[in-house]
Amino acid sequence: MGAAGSKLEKALGDQFPEGERYFGLENFGNTCYCNSVLQALYFCVPFREQLLEYYGNNKTQGDADDNLLTCLAELFSQICSQKKKTGVIAPKRFVQRVKKQNELFRSYMHQDAHEFLNFLLNELVDILEKESNAAKASPETSSPSEKTANGPRSLQPNGVQKEPLVTWVHKNFQGILTNETRCLRCETVTARDETFLDLSLDIEQNSSITSCLRNFSSTETLNAEDKFFCDKCCSLQEAQKRMKIKKPPHILVIHLKRFKYIEQLGRYKKLSYRVVFPLELKLSNTVEDADSEYSLFAVVVHVGSGPNHGHYVSLVKSHNHWLFFDDENVEMIDESAVQTFFGSAQEYSSNTDHGYILFYESLK
Amino acid sequence: MSASNAQSPGLKTYFKTPEGRYKLQYEKTHPSGLLHYSHGKVVTQVTFAQLKDKPVPQPTPASSTLSSTSGVRLAAARLLGGGNGSRALSFVGGNGTSKTVSGNSRIGSLVGHGVSGSTNGPISSNYDGKGTYLIFNVGDTLFVSDFNSQDKDPIKAIHFSNSNPVCHAFDPEAKDGHDLVIGLSSGDVYSVSLRQQLQDLGKKLVGAQHYNKDGTLNNSRCTSIAWVPEGDGLFVVAHADGNLYIYEKNKDGTGDSSFPVIKDPTQYSVAHARSSKSNAISRWHICQGSINNISFSVDGMFLATVGRDGYLRVFDYSKEQLICGGKSYYGALLCCAWSPDSKYILTGGEEDLVQVWSMDDRKVVAWGEGHNSWVSGVAFDPFWSPPSSDNTGEGVMYRFGSVGQDTQLLLWDLVMDEIVVPLRRCPPGGSPTFSGGSPHAIWDNVSPVGTLQAAPSIRDVPKLSPVVAHRVHAEPLSGLIFTHESVLTVCREGHLKIWMRPGHAENQSSSGSETLLGGLKDKPILTNKVGSSSLRQ
Repeated sequence: MGAAGSKLEKALGDQFPEGERYFGLENFGNTCYCNSVLQALYFCVPFREQLLEYYGNNKTQGDADDNLLTCLAELFSQICSQKKKTGVIAPKRFVQRVKKQNELFRSYMHQDAHEFLNFLLNELVDILEKESNAAKASPETSSPSEKTANGPRSLQPNGVQKEPLVTWVHKNFQGILTNETRCLRCETVTARDETFLDLSLDIEQNSSITSCLRNFSSTETLNAEDKFFCDKCCSLQEAQKRMKIKKPPHILVIHLKRFKYIEQLGRYKKLSYRVVFPLELKLSNTVEDADSEYSLFAVVVHVGSGPNHGHYVSLVKSHNHWLFFDDENVEMIDESAVQTFFGSAQEYSSNTDHGYILFYESLK
Repeated sequence: MSASNAQSPGLKTYFKTPEGRYKLQYEKTHPSGLLHYSHGKVVTQVTFAQLKDKPVPQPTPASSTLSSTSGVRLAAARLLGGGNGSRALSFVGGNGTSKTVSGNSRIGSLVGHGVSGSTNGPISSNYDGKGTYLIFNVGDTLFVSDFNSQDKDPIKAIHFSNSNPVCHAFDPEAKDGHDLVIGLSSGDVYSVSLRQQLQDLGKKLVGAQHYNKDGTLNNSRCTSIAWVPEGDGLFVVAHADGNLYIYEKNKDGTGDSSFPVIKDPTQYSVAHARSSKSNAISRWHICQGSINNISFSVDGMFLATVGRDGYLRVFDYSKEQLICGGKSYYGALLCCAWSPDSKYILTGGEEDLVQVWSMDDRKVVAWGEGHNSWVSGVAFDPFWSPPSSDNTGEGVMYRFGSVGQDTQLLLWDLVMDEIVVPLRRCPPGGSPTFSGGSPHAIWDNVSPVGTLQAAPSIRDVPKLSPVVAHRVHAEPLSGLIFTHESVLTVCREGHLKIWMRPGHAENQSSSGSETLLGGLKDKPILTNKVGSSSLRQ
């Protein structure tokens, strides 16, 4: 490990970014789902900085309220305050906390990195909201928003809206989708907004993220069994539905739905489709023509042919260098190596390393 | 290989266009056993090469060649079409819209003059060296296939022991032996005689001249290579580090071949070799990050480059001056190609769009929307003529094609009137978000020479929809070539398909090889001598 560390230092040479630390994370038995996500979040610089700032402001309070947020903050702080530039750290306390908090992650079975990311971000939001509420000592002692393990959280539909708290986690990851439904009888358009912390996209063989995003926002007709209840017509009607991005997030997290439930098989199957993702991206499915540009800075990669086993690694861009994190190991890679994680153009390929979660940061 | 078909069920062997049906005539591939470790990492590119009937064909009076073979030559030109550089202009004569094959996209689309109809089967020792060939790289090997043969397998394989061939270009106008240049992933470059390779029975490159040996000048990957049109043996090699070098073939690079350090890597700069004995003779630093593709305008006046930074750049080649250019909507640009009249440039890239760049307006004038993944090859169809003759003056129509990593071949029509008043702003099935906008925005003042345009806003660019979209391979595609009678597509893994144009495939027999060869042997073609002298020069 030490040797690997010095090798990375040698590779970076005098280009080693000042104050930056590149540390591998020890694996405690199938915790690569956690390690790969942690590395992506650590190199999400605005998130890291705000987390460390939070840690700086709160660490004096003592260990009384040890939670996932403080454990994560402690881990990040531990990494960035290392004397050495490279090495390995054991995220022991954090992993223990995760297992304590959620029985899903308690076993040694293979876990889903996206589920973990979703759990973690929602958990952080809940903690911050609780703290904020406690600080305000407002009459409503606790109103943690309903915890949705997977998928977007809903706001109240256009009713009297309780002003939702916007934490720094929201400021980084939260975007707003608008779900437009047009009744085909009365032509009334009903728009319902939903917030999201990541976008889960259906994928197709030999397609691009741009194409998957386009499909995500394509018009869907609700008919037959699946009609829409139009408030104006007061009945079920055929309707057209479309999802658009109303407010693009600062950090755009895209989850590729590579694990698909196949009814005939009665189980999940991994889709190894080749889905190309560009290093720069613009969202065209926005309500306004945003034309705002995103830059790819991290990729969580699933390695393996099935959903119930395999491995997770991550690719991270830091100070214009790309790095490859595989638990303890950290290596420098060329930017062009990113494209080896697109997937397989044909089924039954020997290539099993597939981009699974993409992290883009807005350049604005 | 049959394997390639077995892997791709549901692929149709024809596609329909307004002008008729394109039919899969034959396929070319490489031995299926070849699964080199680097297979899949190296993207196959293909070069179209037509060898003349003599090793050193000095320009001869047309009369002296009006023997029985001249008909064959003409037939070949009719079948295979086109030409490279301005010479082809005389070939097509009065037809203003279809002039020539330019060095398009990743494919050096180069056509010579003569062809033989008798190179069916493997090369033998008494090989006469005439013919039309497809040169393509797979892994560490460069393959040569006989274009006119039905045989799927290549007739020649050249192995490279220490690096992979990644780009190549053929010069049908070569004045002496060396007509093929090859760029390697190590940065090394070779020039050879294609004929000499075909005559040799070995598996190594023979009689090669070696440039940038062991990457002494530049050790980054070669990405694109092109002969300078009318350049007297000059060729240009682009590299993954944003530099391109101009070499002179047959010149020994004995002198100091180093170039001064690039002072500002963000700026375009040209350096000439310190020593007159050096080869390369100059270095152009284009951009940061890889140059992905280069293309000369047909007249050789302009050189276009596209790269990782998403910029198209157009240079005046002889003045070494940046003329214009612009940024993609987002992401890298992967390929570029000139229109036969040098007025438009197509680019394709990671935003899934085909962009049409106008040299007159110095900006993007249209976006082709239709690919579901990155666009990896673009080319104008130089043999296309509008179906009706109503189009006069401004209403010039162009046909172009694009291929993508979505495994699709798309064909597009570009009518200039449509660009002025875009009619198809909202493609069927497309998002209505794209509608609206301000058509006048594209007629802003032309930007001054040497400035690069920022990425256009989605509202400001008229959209085109494809005329045809056809899934041609099971694998992502890497290039296409238009020939007079066909469209050739190639996928990243090194499988080639040749699609005969409507009217050419239909009235011929099912065997591609027989039709071509039979056609060449048949008498009717001998009667068609019109224009044979112009064809010669």
